[in-house]
Amino acid sequence: MTNKIKVYRAMRDMTQEQLACKVGVTRQTIIAIEKNKYIPSLELAFKIAGVFSETVENIFQHQQ
Amino acid sequence: MNYKQFKKMKVLTASFVSATVAIAVVYNNIILALAGVLIGMLFLFLVRKKAKAVLVDERIQTISGLAARLAYVILTITIAFLSLVFIMIGRKSVPPQASLEVLGVTLSYIALLSLALYSLSYKFFSNKYGETDDEQD
Repeated sequence: MTNKIKVYRAMRDMTQEQLACKVGVTRQTIIAIEKNKYIPSLELAFKIAGVFSETVENIFQHQQ
Repeated sequence: MNYKQFKKMKVLTASFVSATVAIAVVYNNIILALAGVLIGMLFLFLVRKKAKAVLVDERIQTISGLAARLAYVILTITIAFLSLVFIMIGRKSVPPQASLEVLGVTLSYIALLSLALYSLSYKFFSNKYGETDDEQD
């Protein structure tokens, strides 16, 4: 699983702390997701996509 | 207070409780040990209540679950193994040492209790998260 959170964050000039606050997790969790070390739950993935007003598929990509 | 500061507080509290319990053991004072543990628990409870930042999220819960499972497996196997060793040593030593055997039996009961608790909590969470044999069309 890969994601474009870092790209979307940069596009909106948003810090990890701000994103973490908006979706209700710790900054460490955002760091772990960005580094592909942790795969978020479906609920968190939807929340993150919602913050960027994008669909989940645009933010997260599943690689076989 | 952010998560990093909370983690520091947790480490400091753990150090305080460990030091208090160690001193209590040296001076053979159970009240000091109990007071140390209670103060530590109360302090962390208040810190958690006052903190506005998110201190626990799904990643931390996942990590806690994995760590708890690993700790459970290691502890239960170790206790079960030790209980067998104590029972065998107690029976084979000449003259037989009943105290060692009693210790072994007690440890085996603790291992069984741990297994029972795991089974019960597994059943509870399995029901809560909808594991069922009923098929739905």
